[in-house]
Amino acid sequence: MEYNGSAIIAMKGKNCVAIAADRRFGVQALTLSTDFKKVFQMNERVFIGLPGLATDVQTLYERFRFKTNMYKLREEREITPSTFARMVSSTLYEKRFGPYFCEPVIAGLEKDGTPYICTMDLLGCITTPADFVVSGTASNQMYGMAESLWEPDLEPEELFETISQSLLNAVDRDAISGWGAVVHVITPERILTRTLKGRMD
Amino acid sequence: MEVLLAIKGKDFILTAADRTSARSIVVMKQGEDKSRALNKNILMLYSGEAGDTVQFAEYIQRNIQLYGIKNGVPLSTSAAASFTRKELATSLRSRNPYHVNVIIAGTDPKTALPELYWLDYLAASVKLNFAAHGHASYFTLSTMDRYWREGLSLEEAKSLLNKCIAELKVRYIANLPEFTVKVVDKDGIREIDL
Amino acid sequence: MARRYDSRTTIFSPEGRLYQVEYAMEAISHAGTALGILAKDGIVLAAEKKVTSKLLEQTVQQEKIYQLNDQMCTAVAGITADANTLINYSRIQAQQYLMTYNEPIPVEQLVQRLCDLKQGYTQYGGLRPFGVSFLYAGWDEHYGFQLYHSDPSGNYSGWKATCIGANVSNAQSILKQDYKEEFTVKEAKSLAVKVLHKTMDSTTLGSEKLEFATLHVGSGGKIVYHPYKPEEIEALLKAEGVLNAQTEPVGQ
Repeated sequence: MEYNGSAIIAMKGKNCVAIAADRRFGVQALTLSTDFKKVFQMNERVFIGLPGLATDVQTLYERFRFKTNMYKLREEREITPSTFARMVSSTLYEKRFGPYFCEPVIAGLEKDGTPYICTMDLLGCITTPADFVVSGTASNQMYGMAESLWEPDLEPEELFETISQSLLNAVDRDAISGWGAVVHVITPERILTRTLKGRMD
Repeated sequence: MEVLLAIKGKDFILTAADRTSARSIVVMKQGEDKSRALNKNILMLYSGEAGDTVQFAEYIQRNIQLYGIKNGVPLSTSAAASFTRKELATSLRSRNPYHVNVIIAGTDPKTALPELYWLDYLAASVKLNFAAHGHASYFTLSTMDRYWREGLSLEEAKSLLNKCIAELKVRYIANLPEFTVKVVDKDGIREIDL
Repeated sequence: MARRYDSRTTIFSPEGRLYQVEYAMEAISHAGTALGILAKDGIVLAAEKKVTSKLLEQTVQQEKIYQLNDQMCTAVAGITADANTLINYSRIQAQQYLMTYNEPIPVEQLVQRLCDLKQGYTQYGGLRPFGVSFLYAGWDEHYGFQLYHSDPSGNYSGWKATCIGANVSNAQSILKQDYKEEFTVKEAKSLAVKVLHKTMDSTTLGSEKLEFATLHVGSGGKIVYHPYKPEEIEALLKAEGVLNAQTEPVGQ
């Protein structure tokens, strides 16, 4: 988990959710790339953030893309975030005795528009808090930031500001995550995606 | 102790690999080529555990050539990199994984678009503008950060590569007398002198 | 009925034929017609649903036309149960290719993979061949829009317009007569309606007997698979002037 470094956070708002991640890819202290993808869109209303060992981030994304595509073709409907979370959980638990080093964050809107966020450990044990979730090497810092900035029923733009500030200020106190960020705010009407510049040092 | 370097230019990739074959602390041979052509326009540089390296590189090389023969169309650089990543990732969680780091450099023969991929033995794959593997990355990445820009000409890229190699010769403890330097562009892969 | 060389799939007759494979193809010629027409800007697939009873519950939207991945779809003629396993197989193959190369599978390669499986069932003992023919419509960056046909033997071929199922020869000759290289999707659709209208057993065309789908370039250059809803089929038939064939004259 500390080999490549990463920080991912998701928050609930009023009829919307947001998910944000840093963009660094490095090997221990050596930074190699600042446009590494860690948050992936599974469909119009479901996103997954994969912090942890970079190779497993990529492998897991490829596996989830496979599974959700098959789900869509077989069921003739899009997967909901809560169902997707179970899919992720069982995929991780399949490797109980040789796990993927990744603790995913899932954010999305249910069929009726209810916000859904969750995180799980590397074995697939799901936690679904009512406010926000954090994961990655800067999670302690993100807990502190989100704990003081988050409040209930934020509108999309307010939620964007809250999640961005929480992430950017947290990664400044972590040496192996940061170097810019990407934020997605999911509303029933549209998805707002913004890339942010952070401290690039 | 092995050095792999690559720089993306306007319509080519310039690569360099040291030519030393060493066992433990002893240099056994000079003149080793640490690269394999995956197809006409894609080159793979490799370093890592002796034995694993050539075995893995040629396994990838032949599979990618087989793809071309079977399907009549060559694999793109990104598809070749994805395929290599998949093989490395599968191997990583097998009983005896390959310990190989690679750089994949390719230029599309139709569009002349150069692409450069960096993969470590854990099978993390990133697309970069310039890349280095091993200790060399600590000495050369800062130089490339400073001087690399979009659309380098071959002469400019060669002079940047010279700067990097000069830095290695001054500050790196290993003795690196020779490098294999290759260019991958839309016309294919060729070896050049720096 | 039984002859010496038709009890097992793996045995050639003295004339060099595989009877089981031919029987499988025979099964298809009783199935509802399915046709495909290649146009400049897309492909049209259309199919006739054979049995329709008012009492039958509609479990799935489409029973003759299926999506394989984001840039491919297929129309089926033959034993539906066999088709279902083969469609599932090709969907998995398409996703496996995507996982390995991070690129969608080229159309011909997916057709080839499915045909390799079908061919296996004409050779290995104890198994019967799959009783299905497919029409594949797809797009890839190498050759653009493509239309393929495969049969139970595992043979496949590329077409500009073709059809499978009952009444093939009739439909083929209309296609041959009326197909033009410069067809657009719209023109291909009206030819499809015309062919179905002339070859179907029943005199009235209706959405309960038909399935329609197109594959075309959508906004932003993305490939769009569009399965027609019953209302859309009705509207199309109405536009072509064949909705009620008894009272209205045939279009064109």
